[in-house]
Amino acid sequence: MLEYTDKIREIAARLLKEGTVEMVIGFRKGTVPMMNEPCFVTDAGDVDRLIWDGNCGVNLANYLMDRKEKIGIVAKGCDARNIVTHIVENKIDRDQLFIIGVPCTGMIDRRKVAAAVDGEILEVSEDGHNVSVRGQGFEKVLNRQEVLQQNCSLCIHRNPVISDELVAEEVPEQQGVDRYADVRRIEAMDPEEKWNFFDDLLSECIRCYACRNACPLCYCPTCFVDESRPQWVGKSQDPIDVRTFHFLRAYHCAGRCTDCGACERACPVGINMRVFTKKLEKDCLEKFGWEAGLTTDARPPLDTFRPDDPDDFIK
Amino acid sequence: MGIEPGRIQFSWVSSAESTKFVQVVKEVTETVKALGPNTHFVKHEAKVA
Amino acid sequence: MKVILIEKAQWEAGVEKARDSYRLFGPVSQGPFHQFRPLAAGQLPDLDYSNTRMSAKELVYPQSEKMFDYTLDKSQPDHHLLKEPQKDYSPRAVLGIRPCDADAFGLVQRNFDTPDYKDPYWIRAREAITLVGYACSAPCSTCFCTSAGSGPFSESGLDVLLVADGDNFLARVITERGEKFMAAAGWDAAAGDDADARIEALRAEAESRIASHIETDNLRSQDTLSLHGAAFWEEVSFACINCGTCTYLCPTCWCFDIQDENRGKQGMRIRNWDSCMFPLFTLHGSGHNPRGKKVQRVRQRFMHKLKYYVDKYEDGIQCVGCGRCVQHCPVNIDIRRVCELMNSYGPSQDACAVAS
Repeated sequence: MLEYTDKIREIAARLLKEGTVEMVIGFRKGTVPMMNEPCFVTDAGDVDRLIWDGNCGVNLANYLMDRKEKIGIVAKGCDARNIVTHIVENKIDRDQLFIIGVPCTGMIDRRKVAAAVDGEILEVSEDGHNVSVRGQGFEKVLNRQEVLQQNCSLCIHRNPVISDELVAEEVPEQQGVDRYADVRRIEAMDPEEKWNFFDDLLSECIRCYACRNACPLCYCPTCFVDESRPQWVGKSQDPIDVRTFHFLRAYHCAGRCTDCGACERACPVGINMRVFTKKLEKDCLEKFGWEAGLTTDARPPLDTFRPDDPDDFIK
Repeated sequence: MGIEPGRIQFSWVSSAESTKFVQVVKEVTETVKALGPNTHFVKHEAKVA
Repeated sequence: MKVILIEKAQWEAGVEKARDSYRLFGPVSQGPFHQFRPLAAGQLPDLDYSNTRMSAKELVYPQSEKMFDYTLDKSQPDHHLLKEPQKDYSPRAVLGIRPCDADAFGLVQRNFDTPDYKDPYWIRAREAITLVGYACSAPCSTCFCTSAGSGPFSESGLDVLLVADGDNFLARVITERGEKFMAAAGWDAAAGDDADARIEALRAEAESRIASHIETDNLRSQDTLSLHGAAFWEEVSFACINCGTCTYLCPTCWCFDIQDENRGKQGMRIRNWDSCMFPLFTLHGSGHNPRGKKVQRVRQRFMHKLKYYVDKYEDGIQCVGCGRCVQHCPVNIDIRRVCELMNSYGPSQDACAVAS
């Protein structure tokens, strides 16, 4: 990871010095273990702030919204796919960006690490294979692969699909991954089981909207849950309203979600709302052969019509 | 979503196909009646403290 | 104040006995974290925890709370009247609340219980609740309570403070309400004369374990407008995604929004927690939003907690140092860092920054 950090700094300094970009968006070291903070650098003298490690799971494409500057952005595989989605949706111009591509080996799931040890974690370090955890009176070495975010362990697009310069050689993509085992498990449930499963899943939700706001896809000027004229959804903790928020949010991501995991990662109460978006991702793949954010040359399935679109649901 | 399959149906009916329209409406109402009142995604009163 | 000795072996029997007089609440493991929940018969609070994910404020101030019902149906005798909802304000006790969370009730009270306005819902719920605190002997690395006006053994807001001491709890009875609770639980064995000294020693030890501190001494004297105009807000707010995690997890955030929900001619008014992070928070009916930008909203949160509150009440900051926002902010915005920027701010810094 050190090489990545050095290279990111080197590229950022060059871009800022040469005036190729006005700002570079990346990460700086966080104040608590396994958390880094998205930040920007506008002065080549400040690039030492930038770092890279397995705690850069926040999707930086989220920070491009409505910016006017020429931007250098550090992008791992999924960030790059979301940048592609922004370009396809005319949210940003490709020429406005210099993409510093990061071949990614997956992001660490701090909940998994916390669950693997007993006591508060004070320091976490990593190398290519292991994650070393130190806390009050304990030290433990964990296999990095086993403590990755679930979306990362299922990822088959680790290398940025679009970039102007890579910080390292491309990493091998994971082969033979079963991406949708959890979705199939839910698909197999009968309606009552599904209803109860979602009830349990969402029971801790506090409607802080961290999942929505961490998502680069959620850029509506006013979200449907915030509309008041007319008001579409109740704003209390009523379980139907909570569920309506989650389902509709997910539907808005159909054909656009890259399974970057930012939503799940952001949730303060540990809800895996990715099961919703993954179902839609699976449907888009199976029905339209579509994976979001892989190319700027094709229109997404939900804004095009093809005569051979599946229509067997119409009686 | 936890909604029974029979509760939602998509049909394509042209404005010239009145017989088909009647048939579709009949089928849908019969299926839904057989399922009984919907209990999911129904909010009568907000459940709050 | 008297100190009662509770052998841990007597804990369960006392809790069960107290149940005859109180509805009990306490920290319960919800898998990866703890939450305050009603304790079912036979269920003990799980005291093997650092702090709950959600603070204890929801026990008095639920996230969604009905204010009144109404009907517009003129065939009903009580149409167009505001009907008070039936609520259970019978005595309840929270077992094992951390001192920081209990302390926070005092801060929130400043909003709901003022000489000019008394919020009936909050006040009645607060009066019904007895807080049996559990002193922190192993604070987290993100706890900064001792420099936020609280502490691992703080007694403010508590009715009883339990201190674990080997096979026993030393229970310092702080209020009359606390005495009633102890009587209801049947715990009455006076601890030895050295109990106070023992608690003091444990307190000093716990406080020495608090590794995180903030400086707040300059906040009061800072000029509000220059702080408001400081250049650092742009950088502080950059990462913020404007979610409600910090405000909803915070034990001292008190803002709410009011909604009417109607069905036919029946309706109810509900109040829901609101968050200054949300654009809707300040949206005017005209469509104008005085805090339309993220930087303005982030600044508001910190200025409220660390400047406006400080100036208005002249009694410290609106924060008890529980560290929830530090641990759970999805993008790692750290109030300790922002407090440092605010406390050490001098307008000349910006002048220098511009000059360079």
